[in-house]
Amino acid sequence: MKLAFILAYKNLIGAGLRTWLNVGILSFAFVLIIFYNGILDGWNDQARRDTIDWEIGQGQISFNQYDPFDPFTVMDGHGVLPEKDRKGLVPVLLRQGTIYPEGRMLSVMIKGIDAGQTALKLPTHLLTESDADIPVIIGKRMAKSARLKKGDEVLIRWRDDKGTYDASSVTVEGVFDCNVSAVDQGQVWMSIDKLWEMTGLKDHTTYSIITDGKINKVADGWNYSSREDLLSDLTRMIAMKQKSSSIMYGLLLTIALLAIFDTQVLSIFRRQKEIGTYIALGMTRMRVVWLFTVEGTMYSFLATVVGCVYGIPFFIYMSKAGMGMPEANQEMGIVVAERIFPVYSAGLILSTVALVIISATVVSFLPSRKIAKMNPVDALKGKMQ
Amino acid sequence: MTTESIISIKDVTKRFPVGGGEFTALHKINLEFETGEFSGLIGPSGSGKTTLLNIMGSLDTPTEGQAIVMGKDISKLTHKQSALLRNMHLGFVFQVYNLLPVYTVFENVEFSLLLQNWSAAERKKMVMESLEWVGLQDIADKKPAKLSGGEGQRVAIARAMVKRPEIVLADEPTANLDAANAHTIIQTMKRLSHELKTTFIFSTHDEKVMGYLDRIISLEDGKVKKEQQVEAKFSLS
Ligand SMILES: Nc1ncnc2c1ncn2[C@@H]1O[C@H](COP(=O)(O)OP(=O)(O)O)[C@@H](O)[C@H]1O
Ligand SMILES: [Mg+2]
Repeated sequence: MKLAFILAYKNLIGAGLRTWLNVGILSFAFVLIIFYNGILDGWNDQARRDTIDWEIGQGQISFNQYDPFDPFTVMDGHGVLPEKDRKGLVPVLLRQGTIYPEGRMLSVMIKGIDAGQTALKLPTHLLTESDADIPVIIGKRMAKSARLKKGDEVLIRWRDDKGTYDASSVTVEGVFDCNVSAVDQGQVWMSIDKLWEMTGLKDHTTYSIITDGKINKVADGWNYSSREDLLSDLTRMIAMKQKSSSIMYGLLLTIALLAIFDTQVLSIFRRQKEIGTYIALGMTRMRVVWLFTVEGTMYSFLATVVGCVYGIPFFIYMSKAGMGMPEANQEMGIVVAERIFPVYSAGLILSTVALVIISATVVSFLPSRKIAKMNPVDALKGKMQ
Repeated sequence: MTTESIISIKDVTKRFPVGGGEFTALHKINLEFETGEFSGLIGPSGSGKTTLLNIMGSLDTPTEGQAIVMGKDISKLTHKQSALLRNMHLGFVFQVYNLLPVYTVFENVEFSLLLQNWSAAERKKMVMESLEWVGLQDIADKKPAKLSGGEGQRVAIARAMVKRPEIVLADEPTANLDAANAHTIIQTMKRLSHELKTTFIFSTHDEKVMGYLDRIISLEDGKVKKEQQVEAKFSLS
């Protein structure tokens, strides 16, 4: 066992450039797998955290005629949650509206939320601190597309409970910066008390945000969605990304493994005399098979070491500096931070190392099996078989 | 003869499949070798010398007949048993040395010992002693590529001798060497054969080698043509 490792090591080092080429490709595959998965894990972590902090809290109780994917349900998708069920909840009411910044017309979702809330990171305290008649806060994407900034006033039009249009001027009290476009793009946040007053829908909510996880029973006509239910789209999407990126690095790993396989086939062919000599010196054929297998497996050990040499500083740098994400991704409604900080878990690293070592062992063993069938006399003569 | 045969070849026939038929490389060979003998198989190329040595080295088996090496019937050994026989009792010297290129001279010689259970200190002692036998103790750290032909073959002899085998099988060991080196090599082997009571069996068609042999076995077309005890022309100086 130990002998095989020592011999394999000497043979690999003795083989020079070819060894380092194989080790180089393999270590690159190895570092790339960890890097990509680290980015995806980091993204997943960040996106989950941001979504919880900015949008969904610990879950939601929504009116059952409201469907977040169907804007037409906003109109009638609201109701009054029984008073006894309101504990620990932050009420939110949605209304459709239109704003007219600089004479342009923009459809918006008016979201009334309890301004005293602390469940979400939305800076709703700005709403209570304001002296304006109708203070609102908007996200940076909304601010950009409506060309609004803090302190601006803009005309807003909405419909009350009887369907009658009404209009007034609102004051932008703050522009918040957050990665969750679902609470930003096309949204205007105001105090729910103000919205109730404006619409005559006192105590009505579209949904409520749960501040702590324990919900036993919900009133008839209302749906409970847990935090994980609400995160499932995100989870699914990241799993999909993981799968599609695994095709890419799977391909790279395959190339690396093919290079090892090829090297093994060639080396067994070229080193027949050496194989014959090992047998003449008293090694069993199975032991020689093992020797060549270890030699191939050794590529993965060397690749791990080499991968560590340039991978570790790179990973440390990346996890500190983060990776800038292109703006385009942020427009697509996916939760993407401007910078993603990759997360390299022990599980990810160990499973990648195991994957690389096991697959390298398999592709080394397959051609080495041939040695077991070699005739030592032919091997010593270097005859092709 | 008082000693028991260390190798005994009984009616050995070896046939190889060629094309559609068979080629008989050895034809009913009968030979006995005694412990400490310094003998040689001579004969033209293709006469079956290598084939016979391979059978005696348990690298190959006879098609018919028996090859008994150190009391063991070669045909009846498992892979493991024949590997053990080679490792413990047989040394090989090849025409082209067959040194392992990535190992140093020391490591090449040490190799068989690694397959046995020697401590590092014991191995070092044995390897250095064996390199002294062939006069190469000073180049233990060199790689085979840096050696001259004569040195390479001496390393191969040290490798065969380091485990103090009972039998050394040398297939045309001087074929690639000049006269001076050939003499040195063969003298070294003759000396070791005396000192360590090792049985040496050569295959050769080198006149210089023949001069040292105690016994010459002439092969022709896979048959023993002539067997003669000789008074060695060259003796140890
Ligand atoms: N594996 C083999 N297949 C077919 N023929 C072989 C094989 N090995 C040896 N021979 C034949 O057997 C004969 C004896 O070969 P060999 O023992 O190598 O002779 P020598 O060593 O005396 O030159 C030769 O004619 C050779 O071609
Ligand atoms: Mg020959």
